[in-house]
Formats: sequence, C-alpha cells, structure tokens
Amino acid sequence: MSTATTSNSPGKWVVLPHYAFAALAFVALSVLLLFSTDAFNGHYFHPKLLTLTHVAALGWATMLVFGALYQLLPVVLECKLYSEKLATIAFGFLGLGTILLAWSFWNFELGWPMHVAACSLVISFILFNINVVQTARKAPKWTIESDFIVTSAIWLLVTGLVGLLMAINFTMPFLPVDHTHYLKLHAHIGMAGWFLLLIIGVGSKLIPMFLLAHHDETKKLNWSYNLINAGLVLFIADHLLFQTSLLPVYAVVVIAGVVLFLLFLRDAAKTRQRQDLDLGMKQTFVALALLLLPLILVLVVSSKLGLPQSLLSSIYLVYGISVFLGFISALILGQTFKTLPFIVWMHAYEDYVGRFKTPMPKDMYSHTLLRWQNISYLLGFILLIAGVLLRNELIILGGAIGFTITSLLYTANVFRMMMHKVHDLKPFTYGSAKSA
Amino acid sequence: MEAQNLPDDFGLEVYETLKYIIDPEVGINIVDLGLIYEVSLTDEGVLAVDLTLTTPGCPMSGTIRTAAEQILLKRFPTLDVKINLVWSPPWTTDMISEEGMRQLDGKM
Repeated sequence: MSTATTSNSPGKWVVLPHYAFAALAFVALSVLLLFSTDAFNGHYFHPKLLTLTHVAALGWATMLVFGALYQLLPVVLECKLYSEKLATIAFGFLGLGTILLAWSFWNFELGWPMHVAACSLVISFILFNINVVQTARKAPKWTIESDFIVTSAIWLLVTGLVGLLMAINFTMPFLPVDHTHYLKLHAHIGMAGWFLLLIIGVGSKLIPMFLLAHHDETKKLNWSYNLINAGLVLFIADHLLFQTSLLPVYAVVVIAGVVLFLLFLRDAAKTRQRQDLDLGMKQTFVALALLLLPLILVLVVSSKLGLPQSLLSSIYLVYGISVFLGFISALILGQTFKTLPFIVWMHAYEDYVGRFKTPMPKDMYSHTLLRWQNISYLLGFILLIAGVLLRNELIILGGAIGFTITSLLYTANVFRMMMHKVHDLKPFTYGSAKSA
Repeated sequence: MEAQNLPDDFGLEVYETLKYIIDPEVGINIVDLGLIYEVSLTDEGVLAVDLTLTTPGCPMSGTIRTAAEQILLKRFPTLDVKINLVWSPPWTTDMISEEGMRQLDGKM
C-alpha cells in the first residue's frame, strides 16, 4: 500500500535542499563573522554588517523556515501543500538572490547585481505567498494558526518590496528621506511581521504537540495576533507619515502580543504529559528565554533615553544580534532536531515499517554533537554580545569562533541525517513487544 | 459483513502485535499511546482496526497506518486487514495507558 495517499507530506526533494542550503549559509555566516570583528565599532549601516544580517535573515533563517514550512504547513493546516513545483522554483530564486545580495553588500557593489538579487528575492517571496495562500485556502478549517502564517507571508513580501525599493534607490535615488529611515522599516517588518508572526503561528501548534499537551484555548493567541499586527501597522504609519515620539507605545503593543503567546505556551506546558525534554526542546526553551532580550532592547532603542551615541550604537547592534543570532538562530538550532530527523526517517523507512525493526528518528543524529552545538552556541552568543557592548574585538572574535564551531557541529549533524542510508534491517520476530 | 466479538486471546494477540509499532516522535507504542480505538473481526475474516493519531495533520499518518496494516498482515496472513483512520473522538493525552505514562516518565 502506498503511503502517498494518506500522508500530506511533500517529497523530500522539496524540503531537504532548504536544510542543506541553510546549514551551509550558517557556516558561511560564521566564517564571515570571523572576518568582521572590526565592523562592530560604529553604525549598523556598514557593508559587512549588512552582509551578515542578510546572510542570517535570508540564507540561514528564511531558507530554513521555507523548507520546514513546506513540511509543517500540511501538519498545521491539515491539507497538502498547494504546489511542490512552486516551492522548488522559490528555492532557486531565494538561493540566487541571497548569494548575489551577500556578494553585493560585502563588496558594496550597488549596481545590477544588487538589483538582480532584490528582484530574485521578491519573485521568490511572491511564489512563496501563492503557495501559502493557496494551501491555506484548501485547509478544512481556518484557524488562528492560519491567520499567523498567511499574514507573516504577506509581511515577508512587503519586507522584500521595501528592500527592492532601497536597492534601486542606491543607484537611482528617488526616495525622499535617507536610507536608514527605510532600513528601520524594512528591518522591523521583517523581524516582527515575518519571523515573529510565523514562529508564533507554527510554534503555537508544534510546541504543545511536542510536549504532548492538550490546550485548545485560543483567546490569548487571537489577542497576540491582533496586538502584534496593530503595533506593527501603527509603527509603519507613524514612521512614514508622522514621526511622533510614540514609538515606545507601539513597541509595548507588540511586546504585549508576544507576552500573550508566551502565556499561551505556559498554559499549554502546564498540561504536558512529557516531563523530560530532549535536547531539541531544551534548545527551543533557550530560544524563548532569549526572546526576552530583544523585547527589552526594542524599548530602549525606541525610547529617547539620552544615552551616549556610542552606547546607543552598540545597543542597536546587540538588538539586531539578539534577534537573528539570538532568538531565531537558537530556535532553528533546536527545532531542526525536532523536524529533520522525522522527515528523513519517514522517507527512508516508510516502506519498511511494520515489517522490519527500524531505528527511531532520534537515532539518526549524534546527541553528543548536538549537546556541544548547544553549549558552543550559548558561549558564542554571550561572548559576541559582551564583545559588542564592550567594543572589544578580541571578545567579538571569541564569539565568532563559538559560532563557527556551532555551525560546523550543526552542519555535520544535518548532513549526517540527510545522507542516512537504510541497511541491515531485521524482520520482526514475535514475542513480547516492548516499547522503544 | 458483521463484526463479531474477538476471542480474548486473539484480541490480546492483535494488541500485542500492534505494540511493535512505535510512534516515532513520542517513542511509545501506538497501543499504549491510546491510538487504537477498536479492533473487530468479521465473519468473512476481515480484521478491522480503528486507529487515530495524536493530531489530524500528523505527517506520520501514512507511515503509521501502513505499519499497522503490514504487521497485522504478516502476523495473521489468512485474514484481510483493514485499517480505518478515525478522528472521533479526538485523541487526548487522557487516552495514554498507565504503561504509556510510566514509559513517558522514564523517557529521554
């Protein structure tokens, strides 16, 4: 009996290339960080920092989120992915756009390579939006998770469009105000609109599922959705049209939305049947704890506290780092080991289960590598933050080394899983069945 | 086609056989996880199993269903095996057996 008729999962060639690209992008990001220790002494509008940010946001985080989402969308929305072909084409444009954009920023080449990169990325986001919206339309019921995911995809496209306008504006200036003004818009739509909403939408379904918790109350999630979007829309309108001093108020509205999500998770965790957490889930909770850092810092950077300019510049950098290399990276480092082993396992063993003894998904990666990955990540992150705040290049280098070790351990485990081969399976012999 | 009561030892054998199928995420067999709602045998020799999953969108649905079918066919080659995926009542953690809870507490 074919399993294709009963499972909504897409083919592995849709999903796995995203994981492979993201892992290599993480290594590239860490190596670039090693050569960028001198870039953290000033303003965030610096070619090396722009390169690092876009490799992190696109090549590492968005690439992995795309791949994971093609696998998870059918789980969350309970229906098949609309188009695997669109997903593959979107992967190509995202990969091309990321590589070209990184090259353009690193060399500060603002001409056609950057324009092509920005266009590739926007095409990729359009295709992604079509796939997400059409999949959601097929879902048997519309849930709050659908709201989060579809809205996040739309915000991703808006982020890309603002980026495209900025890329064109570099060589053909037409925007009325300077670049950093739009950069704030671009960054916050990406961080809160794309990453935050998407992570909440998927996380609110998956985290309780992984904890074996049953929690159907969605009131907090509804309010979380409303508050984050309201805060973001108010911020955009104010930033573009009025430029009042109400930014901290919008920040508080968004923070309230995130706090409601965290309270939802706390309620769910109270009903969990799984008391012990595996390394993937432990790392996920580290990520949720790290989320508190950007929530505090967004208040600092949006309020006029009269801090010295040099300190404020460092805080801006720490704010960005805490989002991309803190919360988002920590979450990916954990959740990869809650998703990828199952994807590989399913494709490798679906024809053997029930007839042969098969290994479990958790047997497909090295727990030792994962443990050291989590340790080196936390050390690297702490050193990087400390180095940037203290403006000490040696400490920043220590952080970069930590991230490089983390990325190598992560990539080794990811490729170990992806290259897993089935061998020497023994057929079942019946006696007294024991659980694994 | 009429379902008949299972002889005790046969029913036990079906459940024991299904215990070989481990939920790959939770690491507990599908019987102790409470995923088997009903097992019946018709006069025509059809062994029917009502099976649910921990969540409707579970990506393992095809894999677990096939596994249950394959293992029962191997164990009872003279019977026709029919696996019905059911969603009512929805699975909750209350359906985990005592043995399953014991295994959960000792896991990881």
